[in-house]
Amino acid sequence: VIPRYQKIVFIVLLVVSIAMATILVRLRERAHDRLLKGEDLAPTTAPAVAPAEHATLLVANDIDGTLVPEEHSLPLPKDAEARARALLDKLLEIYASPGAMHPVDSAPRAVLQVFLLPVSEGRDGRASGGQMAVVNLAGSFADGHPAGIEAETLTVLSICGTLHANLSQITEVRFLVDGAARKTLAGHADLTRTYLTTEAVSAAGSSSGAKP
Amino acid sequence: MESRSDCILTQRLDALILVPLAAGLLMSFPATAQAPAIPAVPRTASAPVAPTTPAPATQNTPSRFVVVLDAAHGGDDGGAQLGETAAEKNVTLSLSVRLRSLLAARGFSVVTTRESNVNVDSDLRAQIANHASAAACVSLHASLTGTGVHLFVSSLSSTSQTRFLAWKTAQSAFVTRSLKLASMVNSALEQSSASSNGDAGPVSLSIPVTLARTSLPGVDSMACPAVAVEMAPIRGDDRNVATGVTDPQYQAQIVEALAAALLEWRTDAQGESHSGGRQP
Repeated sequence: VIPRYQKIVFIVLLVVSIAMATILVRLRERAHDRLLKGEDLAPTTAPAVAPAEHATLLVANDIDGTLVPEEHSLPLPKDAEARARALLDKLLEIYASPGAMHPVDSAPRAVLQVFLLPVSEGRDGRASGGQMAVVNLAGSFADGHPAGIEAETLTVLSICGTLHANLSQITEVRFLVDGAARKTLAGHADLTRTYLTTEAVSAAGSSSGAKP
Repeated sequence: MESRSDCILTQRLDALILVPLAAGLLMSFPATAQAPAIPAVPRTASAPVAPTTPAPATQNTPSRFVVVLDAAHGGDDGGAQLGETAAEKNVTLSLSVRLRSLLAARGFSVVTTRESNVNVDSDLRAQIANHASAAACVSLHASLTGTGVHLFVSSLSSTSQTRFLAWKTAQSAFVTRSLKLASMVNSALEQSSASSNGDAGPVSLSIPVTLARTSLPGVDSMACPAVAVEMAPIRGDDRNVATGVTDPQYQAQIVEALAAALLEWRTDAQGESHSGGRQP
């Protein structure tokens, strides 16, 4: 014979279990609803997680074929690679804006990644202190880039110059498109070679009609 | 014309075998070393396209002064789209044909990289130019960006000429002379803009000229003074197109300016040759 107090304890535990199960199912449903609601209300612009800083962008001008230094204020992360990517995103955003002097169609995430690698110098392979930036561009950006020697050269040099102006340790730049080597940007500018950032600096110093 | 015994080496592994063999042959037969050597060039999958040389120009010229005209793109590679119907490959071919005629009439020996709408690899373009032992190479391009004519010289650092040159940087030994050639083309374009045809013809267009350095896969491998000429529309102050790249007068003016520059280049070269100096 089961004692009466045991029957009461069993009934109480059963009721508590059913109540807890009900509460858990309800909480799960609420979490699911909250998740779906959160997706709908996703912010359209990335939050500024870093303080705004002044940056120098070398902006291309198709009319006279020059690179013009422009000061901009934008949030820049501390990490050098993320910083480099933020700078290039801003530069390409300028090119995609209406009325740009070097118009290039916008592409979502035009710069996929920027990797910084130490530059070895000399036969002994010792590090020179400089860094090589490997810029991985999106294929959609390269495919939509205007074809032409001047247009492609200015894009490449403005990327090199902007990186060097803000991250002076970058002395060399190489380009990938969708993670793979590509012969040219849009049929002209060579993307298989390593670009020295000094080339962009000298291009920025040149003026229209100057002897090369 | 300086000695053309320079060999252009491919960076491929098979070049490592060719170099000692070629060097050995040159040392074994000193007489052949004085003759223009056929440069070692990268092997391409496609069959080489024979360079087209107008026969009368070649046969009637006492001293061979070769100019290579490289009409960019072709075949599947249309290049830039210049409006609804015009493609860069057609405009460059048109410029090449017109310039070839003008140069042939002036006694030049002209080699073109293509005469029709065919694919020509950038290595093959350089291969044709290097086989021709050219005194000048002109790569013709067209674009919708910018204004006027853009002149480009290789951005490779200038180096002294040696017997063996790396394939991808062969132009580095000719950069100084390429800059001089670009300067002459610039002057010719400026003179064409300033000249007036009077009542006999239309007024010359004022063509803005931009000079810059760049890295082009074909031009960087050319072992000759080389300049890339990119034709863009002429734009007004409001950045709207005043004269398009398909304008016949605009094209004719550019072609005539290039012919004048190459004529001056040849005169300069012959003058230096007669005075005992090196040709450009």
